[in-house]
Amino acid sequence: MKTQYKKPRQLKAFLKMTGYFFLAQRRNPATFAFGFIFPVVFISIFGLIGNTPQKLTIGLPAEVQRTNPIVSVIEKQPFVKIDQEEEGILENKLRQGKLSGIVDIQMANQTTPHYDVKLTTSIGNVQEGAALNSLVRGVADQANLRIAGVTNPSIIVTQSELSGRQFRYIDFALPGQIGFSLLSTAVFGTVFGLIFLKKSLVLKRMFASPTRAITILLAQGASRLISAMMQTLLILALGIFVFKFYLPHGYVTFFELLLLSAFGLVAFLGFGYFMAGLANDENSAGPLVNLITLPQFLLSGTFFPTDSLPAWIQPIANNLPLSYFNMAVRKITTEGGDITQTVPYILGLLAWGTVMYLLAAKTFKWE
Amino acid sequence: MADIIVVKNLIKKYGDFTAVNDISFSVKPGEIFGILGPNGAGKTTTLEIIETLKKQTSGDVFVDGINVKDHPWEVKRRIGVQLQSAAFYPELRLTELLDMFAAMYDVKVNPMEMLKKVDLADKAKNYVKQLSGGQKQRFSIASTLINQPKVIFLDEPTTGLDPQARIHLWDMVRDIKKEGVTIVLTTHYMDEAEQLCDRLAIMDHGKIIKTGTPKKFIDDLLKAGFKKEVKVEQANLEDVFLNLTGRKLRDE
Repeated sequence: MKTQYKKPRQLKAFLKMTGYFFLAQRRNPATFAFGFIFPVVFISIFGLIGNTPQKLTIGLPAEVQRTNPIVSVIEKQPFVKIDQEEEGILENKLRQGKLSGIVDIQMANQTTPHYDVKLTTSIGNVQEGAALNSLVRGVADQANLRIAGVTNPSIIVTQSELSGRQFRYIDFALPGQIGFSLLSTAVFGTVFGLIFLKKSLVLKRMFASPTRAITILLAQGASRLISAMMQTLLILALGIFVFKFYLPHGYVTFFELLLLSAFGLVAFLGFGYFMAGLANDENSAGPLVNLITLPQFLLSGTFFPTDSLPAWIQPIANNLPLSYFNMAVRKITTEGGDITQTVPYILGLLAWGTVMYLLAAKTFKWE
Repeated sequence: MADIIVVKNLIKKYGDFTAVNDISFSVKPGEIFGILGPNGAGKTTTLEIIETLKKQTSGDVFVDGINVKDHPWEVKRRIGVQLQSAAFYPELRLTELLDMFAAMYDVKVNPMEMLKKVDLADKAKNYVKQLSGGQKQRFSIASTLINQPKVIFLDEPTTGLDPQARIHLWDMVRDIKKEGVTIVLTTHYMDEAEQLCDRLAIMDHGKIIKTGTPKKFIDDLLKAGFKKEVKVEQANLEDVFLNLTGRKLRDE
């Protein structure tokens, strides 16, 4: 006669473990630093970068009068900063890239006003040099026309500006930071966390209970999901309230972001479980984890757009899991699209996630 | 009364290495059964197979009449397990750990009551890493009792403890026995085996060499003509040490 035994119940254990695992994570300084402090620091830095508009800094030799008509026109430009110093000092600053260029103005003839404008720029800073050149030429041309009595020039250039949202670096950087914090939590947290639990026999002690191993792993994942959601919320709150991060469709975009983040984390967790299976101890885990995360942080458009990468690397860079995540987030934030437009990226993430979970199932060792 | 643990022709191999080599023994309900042997004898592997943490290569193991291979979950429900080192989440407090384990065993417990039982009530808000060696082991034993098990397994419970902590732990193990719980422990301390265990199995190189009561082992040896040069010692160095430092527990 075979006795029938009822299967152990798992739900209560799962919920309790999830709660306590989360509590343990919150009390662990390393997890806290990677998940919360790093992204906050990065966001603050990027937020500040985005708020300083580009300026032209013009060096003016000490002997040039500020009342000089050319100088006074240049000085009125909103994006210009004048730095008046001895000529030698200015040249040094130009070489160091601290100036856009030096404008020296000599009055050649005392009776009829006649000016010699000498512009010095650096080959180390071609862009600002060119901008300064056109600015100075523009001012000089207008002055020449006025002096020549031309009131009706035959070529008139007008510029009209499209009204639009000012694009700032924070709008680019914040989605990247959400991805950064999710991948960090999923990979660093899971790999080092699980290796520690294995080595210190904590996992084994739990396996001695009627709670199934898979329930324990799921609770691990769920606790990371809670952490990740809180990190996303924190980054978003900081971005929205402090740095005026732009949400094109308000709270809809906000919830879409949370949804995407949850999905992204679950996909990234696959990497964590896979790496935790491959690595036997913290020493072998370090290089492995960096091998997986560093290229993604650099190539996936986390800190700078992938467009600026060499053409040959772009097919790789655009198909990394973190790139899919970043592109999906930017689709609904910077590009103002709706969530249906993120489907290709979600499928890409899904594919990566599936492969990783399959590999993890093959490599994972409980001890 | 039927044996609570029955091990029949148990073999565990790791590749070419045979860790447990065809052993058979049984444990009676309510006794303290010791597996004695040097490091690497196969004690821990044997325990872990009975505890369902490892799968045997061949042979059968029954706990409370249940085959561990067929019904590991049912066996886990009935046993309490202490591993060689105190294996608990370092970032959780003692009461939190007991609460979590209670959920994992699907039982309700009062963590404070459990801690009182093992003299750790005043450490309830501490983390495991803040406990002394003896306190860790006591907490570990408390965690084995969560599900009111029929058998508990203690793997080298007193290794690394000072004499006072060992004596205290032995008393605690005897108290648990009084409540009707069967205790299986491993040790490589002869005095522990002699004073604490009702019956012993001596293990070496994956084999059980002999099973019996400590007294029977000594009688058999003497019957075989063994003679130790006896100076009648009225006391030994441990007696001196305990006399000088007292039997009172030190790790609080």
